[in-house]
Amino acid sequence: MHVRLRLYLAGASPNSVIALANLRAALKEHPDRIVDLELIDILADPARGIDDGILVTPMLVKIHPLPERRILGNLRDREMLLGVLEVGGCEVE
Amino acid sequence: MRDERNSGRPNRMPSGILGLDETIDGGLPRGGVTVVLGGAGAGKTTFGLQVLACGARNGEPGILVAFEESSARILANTSGFEWGGDALSGKPIHVFDAQLSQSVERGGEFDLVGLLSILAAKVKQVGARRIVFDGLDVLLGYLGDTALARREVFRLRDWVYDSGLSAILTAKADASDVRPTAGYDFLQFMADCVVTMHHRVIEGTALRYLRVTKYRGAEHSANELPLTITRSGLEVASNSTSERHHPAANERVSSGVPRLDAMLAGGYHRGSSVLITGAPGTAKTTLAAAFAEAAVIRGERTVYVSFDEAPEQIVRNVASVGIRFTPHIDSGLLHVHSLRARSESPEAHVARLRALIRDTSARNLVIDPLSAMTQRGCEGEADAAALQIMDVAKTLGLTSVSTSLLGNSLPLVEHTPFKISTIADTWMHVSYEKQGGERNRALTVIKSRGTAHSNQVRELILTEAGVTLADVYAVGGEVLMGTRRWEMENDARRAQISAQSHAALRERKAEHLLAGTKAQLDILSRERAIQEAELVLLRAQAIAETDSRTGQDDELLERRHADPATPLPSGENESNGRAP
Repeated sequence: MHVRLRLYLAGASPNSVIALANLRAALKEHPDRIVDLELIDILADPARGIDDGILVTPMLVKIHPLPERRILGNLRDREMLLGVLEVGGCEVE
Repeated sequence: MRDERNSGRPNRMPSGILGLDETIDGGLPRGGVTVVLGGAGAGKTTFGLQVLACGARNGEPGILVAFEESSARILANTSGFEWGGDALSGKPIHVFDAQLSQSVERGGEFDLVGLLSILAAKVKQVGARRIVFDGLDVLLGYLGDTALARREVFRLRDWVYDSGLSAILTAKADASDVRPTAGYDFLQFMADCVVTMHHRVIEGTALRYLRVTKYRGAEHSANELPLTITRSGLEVASNSTSERHHPAANERVSSGVPRLDAMLAGGYHRGSSVLITGAPGTAKTTLAAAFAEAAVIRGERTVYVSFDEAPEQIVRNVASVGIRFTPHIDSGLLHVHSLRARSESPEAHVARLRALIRDTSARNLVIDPLSAMTQRGCEGEADAAALQIMDVAKTLGLTSVSTSLLGNSLPLVEHTPFKISTIADTWMHVSYEKQGGERNRALTVIKSRGTAHSNQVRELILTEAGVTLADVYAVGGEVLMGTRRWEMENDARRAQISAQSHAALRERKAEHLLAGTKAQLDILSRERAIQEAELVLLRAQAIAETDSRTGQDDELLERRHADPATPLPSGENESNGRAP
């Protein structure tokens, strides 16, 4: 099962750094998950943030599989993060 | 449109909300933060957009950041306003969807750094001066922990100050409408200005009002300001808490018919109630419409309520007597409403009228015909309702003109269907009078409180040019109308011409006499002049002769070497023996 994610960041601002770190840590712990991750820095590419309607960061968006989910924050909530990655074969809503 | 130029104070931003700026020291704080609190549907988003639209008109680009509703929906909701909908496209108002809809989950702390960076770039790009953050409470909800929320809001505030923007933050209030939802009291403390908006439905009538609960460093009214929503958007209604309208104690407003104004010592008293009764076809509507036209020409909002006749019909009917409603309807000063008498109870009509008056901030009201409410067959209720409407109008300071169907004969008090005739300040009756084979309209002022008025019946004349009253010809106690009046007018005219000619003739005769006398005077004065001259001449000659005789004597004596003669005393002879 293939998971497509986008992580919107604001450069190296503290919460964005933490979010990325948390996400990478979770992915490392579960190497069997195949994740397609796109990193979007809205400071470097503001047009992308505006177009996608994501202006409050950090925001993690799961594009696939449906349903789409949006998680706002630095991803400190590990359980929720794992649910997004669909670890354990079941989704944590 | 309206004067939005800054009153000259550089630290005030015109809001674009009619009637507001003058109560808040000229406008909202420029370079500062205004927080707008209110319940759902109170109009906070409209407030923000109206301020942006005002800025756009004055060359100040603006930005809207939408946290709650989508930008598309927000913009669509403005289509009822003259500055909104399509009028917004092409204007320098930039909208950002930062929608944090319900489906966004909270997975940790976050901050506004990214958002503010993007906004900063936009501000610089377009030269924005105004910014609205709409639905801030949604953002705060995600921030959760109050300490974090406080930190980010202060970050936002500092960013606003640094960038020189004037900002509006809208947020939901709790049930009191006054405090932000629990835990966010700091919003009010950090703001430079706090506006609360209220929306209530009482007895079927929607009431809106706004209150400025805080404004640092500015004089402001802490009163509730009633709000209406019109095509101009939000407006502070000006007719109830009347700090601005002080009708002069004896102010008169025109009835729309100059000669009727003359009959009533200037017109109707402002704020009074006028009842016009009469049989069908007696031009009651025309009189009511004339009043409405005069009112809107004065620039006053007027509501014209008709029962069971469509607005287009009314406009057509009054146009036939030269009354033009259309330009005033277009300008928004005149509101013509049609109610279906049978469809609702009298009480419902009252509520509807009340709402209409509030929504339009009208100063004048026409109800034509008021008697339509009795058709339901429950006269008692209709009476009460009619009285209520008059009361509402009076309380709000409106001048009201109502028409009522009655029989043709001059009504005695006990025959009127309403007790309204006792409530009404002015009561006029129009009837048909048959004279010499014609039917003419007669107008009588039955009563007019506070005005000495004539009891004389006058003829009401309707032409394409308008409505007027004809002069009164009373012959043998009877008032002449129609053709007989015309004949009498002709006679009077002829008599006047004749009198004038006689007077002219007498004048000429007198002038002639005077001329004759003057001529005689001329001759006499010339004779006098001649006689005077003769007298002068005679005197001169006498003197000359005397002088010359004396002179001759002296010369003779000198020749004879005698000393000058001394005047002889009477009777004495000369002593020196000279020959005389």
